[in-house]
Amino acid sequence: MSRWVVRRLLTSLLTLFFITTITFALARVVPSNPAVVYIGPLARPAEIARVTKELGLDRPLYVQYVDYMRDLVHGNWGTSLATKQPVLGGIASRLPATLELILVAMAMAVAVGIPLGVLAAHRKGKAADTGARVGAVVGISMPVFWLGLLLQVLASQWLNILPPTSRQSLDVAVLHPVTKITGFLLVDALVTGDWSGLQDAATHILLPAITLAAYPAALVTRMTRAAMLDVLGQDYVRTARTFGLGERLVLWQLALRNAIPSTLTVVGLSLAYLLTGSFFVEIVFDWPGIGQYATNALLNLDYPAIMGITILGATAFLVINFVVDVLQARLDPRVRLQ
Amino acid sequence: MSVTIDSPDQLPAPYRSTGATSRAFRVLRRKPSALLGGGIIVFIAFVALAAPVLAPYPAQGRGLADVPARDLPPSSLHWFGTDHLGRDVLSRVIFGARPALGVSLAVVVLAVLVGVPLGMIAGYRGGWLDEALMRVTDIFLAFPPLLLAMVISALLGASLLHAAIALVISWWPWYARLARTVTQSLKHEPFIDAARVFGVREPLILTRHVLRNATTPILVQATVDAGTVILAVGALAFLGLAAQPPTPDWGLMVADGRTTVITEWWISMFPGLAIFTLVLGFNLLGDVLRDVLDPRSAGR
Repeated sequence: MSRWVVRRLLTSLLTLFFITTITFALARVVPSNPAVVYIGPLARPAEIARVTKELGLDRPLYVQYVDYMRDLVHGNWGTSLATKQPVLGGIASRLPATLELILVAMAMAVAVGIPLGVLAAHRKGKAADTGARVGAVVGISMPVFWLGLLLQVLASQWLNILPPTSRQSLDVAVLHPVTKITGFLLVDALVTGDWSGLQDAATHILLPAITLAAYPAALVTRMTRAAMLDVLGQDYVRTARTFGLGERLVLWQLALRNAIPSTLTVVGLSLAYLLTGSFFVEIVFDWPGIGQYATNALLNLDYPAIMGITILGATAFLVINFVVDVLQARLDPRVRLQ
Repeated sequence: MSVTIDSPDQLPAPYRSTGATSRAFRVLRRKPSALLGGGIIVFIAFVALAAPVLAPYPAQGRGLADVPARDLPPSSLHWFGTDHLGRDVLSRVIFGARPALGVSLAVVVLAVLVGVPLGMIAGYRGGWLDEALMRVTDIFLAFPPLLLAMVISALLGASLLHAAIALVISWWPWYARLARTVTQSLKHEPFIDAARVFGVREPLILTRHVLRNATTPILVQATVDAGTVILAVGALAFLGLAAQPPTPDWGLMVADGRTTVITEWWISMFPGLAIFTLVLGFNLLGDVLRDVLDPRSAGR
């Protein structure tokens, strides 16, 4: 196990090294001139020459590369061309909003997907099963950005409430802001006992989280159903039933416990999806997180910010995969890490 | 997102047998969801081909503005309403079927053309070549879905062509892995050994024997992926990283109506519905195809 962890960490580091190298190469071979991006569209030749020197873009490529990698390791991820602020700080200040959204969405997906999958497997071929399967294929086929807009339209037309975009109401943010501790609004409001702030944050996160949760909920439902069908057909389940154990006990304890490892894999995959899925939800709901930062960086060719986002995304993806593998070995003794 | 298969024994038995394609067609005809999915795809393909005839305002479908008639709600004149430039949304949605189908088809075909030969050669030869290919695909697959495509498309300069290139770059590793796994499972089959013993050269073994048996699983995977690729193209366009105005692109049209969606909902809703329908078609068909080829998952 510990040997596996060490090997896995080393290969992950190597992968990250290659990813940063590829991103660096991509950012430097493109036709756009970063100096022009830095100054703006009205750049004069003299200014371009000055900024090119200032940003160190006139040095040989390998020198720039070595410098970039050294700074990266020391926590200096460069300065955003658009905001003129350090990239790492920009990312860090927006990270809690995105993480909060992703975690709430994931919790929703699991809370809906697992019971639905168990129910569908239990009532295989019946109406509940058909409903769950149709729901799952619909959830998988929905463009996330469209679903977000659809929910806004429905909420405004039918429920007669305007969709709360952004993270909190203006009056809450300005007049009695939630004391910042962790940056997670829900947590901060709860810890400080700020009930109106908590309510405000909860109503604002509802629609974006549902939007983001649709796809993973569908995946979790599917996988739970398939894994439960596998398990329910096995001898030990039949034995438990012949011994007269209650169906509820068989289903939710004996069977589900062995279906969980497969579901876990899908949860890991979904988390990776949520990383980029949150980009779209943040744009649709005006959510001040990483996604907005990333989209602006991409559209403005703000290459230091683009590289920062890429490295962050790849790192998060590697970490998620790592954690899923470890958890799976923990939950299922047949899985051996080697 | 596809499932990674890393060793031959994870592959279901039918992936190694012939005749799966004909069996697939027989089962497909009895599955209503496959019929529905196939029907949706055929319908949208027909709409794409006949767009100039079907669209009530073909010139507006291609991008001609009619500013005085802007932001009109759905009516008998404009079934889907008009957009911010007064263009008929129905005509735009009809013309939008062309880039949607064309780009996703091109992406899947190109990704297969790049990935499958590499995967087959690596799987057949083994050794350092195989190891090298696997490490390269590892790097590509270490990016969260879509992120690599977003970055490449942005850096190349956002356009439909560059988005397609970006998607091919981020998709081929999946096919390389699949082709490698299938090849590894096939290469010790008696009929391949026999061909080798009789002195058949490697290129011929690969094309005549391996490729022919690998076609079905690759086709199925391509169908399953087509829906995901359409979503990806739409997503890139929504961010402004793919087609540019005035291209009638569904993702771009959704983005166009985004800020006014509460009052002029039709501008975003109909193109989004079109994306959803086409993706649903491919997913319905793909699910049944997968079940047919992998009896272990049948009926699930």
